[in-house]
Amino acid sequence: MAIFLNIRLAASLIVALASSFGGSPQAPPQHARVELLSRQASVKPNSDLQLGVHFILEKGWHIYWINPGDSGQPPSFNWKLPLGFSAGEIQWPRPERLQPSKELLDYGYDNEVLLPLTIHAPSAIGGRAAEFAADAKWITCREVCIPEHADLHLSLPVGATTSLDQQHSQLFAKTDRLIPQPLPRGWNASATSGKDDFVLTIRAGQPITQADFFPLDPGQIDNAAPQKLQQTSHGAKIALKKSDLLIKPITALRGVLVIPGGPAYRIEAHVRQPIQ
Amino acid sequence: MNRRYRFIRRACALLALVASAFAVKVGDPAPGFTAVDSNGKQQRLSDYKGKFVVLEWHNQGCPYTKKHYESGNMQRLQKEWTAKGVIWLTAISSAPGTQGFVTPSQENNYLKTMNAAPTAVLMDPGGSLGHLYAAKTTPHMFIIDPNGTLIYNGAIDDHPTSDQGDIARSKNYVSAALEQAMGGKPVAEAATRPYGCSVKYKD
Repeated sequence: MAIFLNIRLAASLIVALASSFGGSPQAPPQHARVELLSRQASVKPNSDLQLGVHFILEKGWHIYWINPGDSGQPPSFNWKLPLGFSAGEIQWPRPERLQPSKELLDYGYDNEVLLPLTIHAPSAIGGRAAEFAADAKWITCREVCIPEHADLHLSLPVGATTSLDQQHSQLFAKTDRLIPQPLPRGWNASATSGKDDFVLTIRAGQPITQADFFPLDPGQIDNAAPQKLQQTSHGAKIALKKSDLLIKPITALRGVLVIPGGPAYRIEAHVRQPIQ
Repeated sequence: MNRRYRFIRRACALLALVASAFAVKVGDPAPGFTAVDSNGKQQRLSDYKGKFVVLEWHNQGCPYTKKHYESGNMQRLQKEWTAKGVIWLTAISSAPGTQGFVTPSQENNYLKTMNAAPTAVLMDPGGSLGHLYAAKTTPHMFIIDPNGTLIYNGAIDDHPTSDQGDIARSKNYVSAALEQAMGGKPVAEAATRPYGCSVKYKD
């Protein structure tokens, strides 16, 4: 009995030791289901296809946007593509504001998110199937943060024509609406630099009553400070408090403007310096 | 001293604290503080006038903190720079019941187990020191020069990940800043985005 107990103890110690070394690559992530999906049902030579990494997060847990804000880290992917294939950049859907405490603010995703990217297929593809793989690494946080990883795989048949994947193309279409778009024709964004704030001016040809700005570059604005929007007859002026970390003038404010209930726009506003 | 004067003085001191809470900028005087360390001793920033002071925000359960302690990187930095006369103050602002909150004796045991060598560990469960410096992450690093000016605010290095494997190829911003400042040069990268877990403030 004593020996049996010791064996059990030893076994549990080995398990504990193994998990303390970060686990094996096969260990499934604990707080997310992660899968590699394709928008298309097959791969056609010399054409683009869209893949996406789909995160389904456990309730209360979140992952981060490309600019994570005050804490955290965006997911990263090491792609393994068939010979001749090339991958574009992740098209990050608009993030949500996540607030770990009253003076800190992060940008990320909870519940579910698809991170799509475009893959270009070469004119000659060897074999009847194309095998895609990615080492995915991410940090997921609730009150605490846990680094997780997964080896993702997807095999697609190669064909002369291609069609949408019946099961997943709707998820890609839904995600399209969350991807920031260029500003509509006739709109523009500019900014001025004051002592403590930037004022972002959006000209849209119509008043904007509500909007949130998500900065792409860290250390420019104070993430947690309230953004003060003033509606104008042509759009809005949004006062953004400068970050403590900003010690040099900047030439551009880049980011995403989200109109609640509406679209998200990519913004690159030239910053005019104050007149001395 | 009459009571009214004392009241005004206190109100002014409080105001000064509030005003500085979000304005810890490189080039400005570092806000003064008094905090109790893990040995129960009072630590005042003003006690270290004339020396370089490093502040390191800490949470022993955070994967980003673990990256730098389980690899021995943070301890190496602590030993290297305190040997050169730098005062290294580790600060813990985790509120009771949150990750990283420790009692003084738990912290002293941790220092021993990890072979860590800060000058002192400031116990800040109420978060006032953290808010005073607007500490955002663990780790989050600050450097104060011998005149009391903040000369660095930001990350420990240029690889914002929790992977120990990244340390060898990282540029350590704290060492670079200390080397430059001690050599009489301006700090080239004086403000960077700190990375890590959010500081577990009580609010």
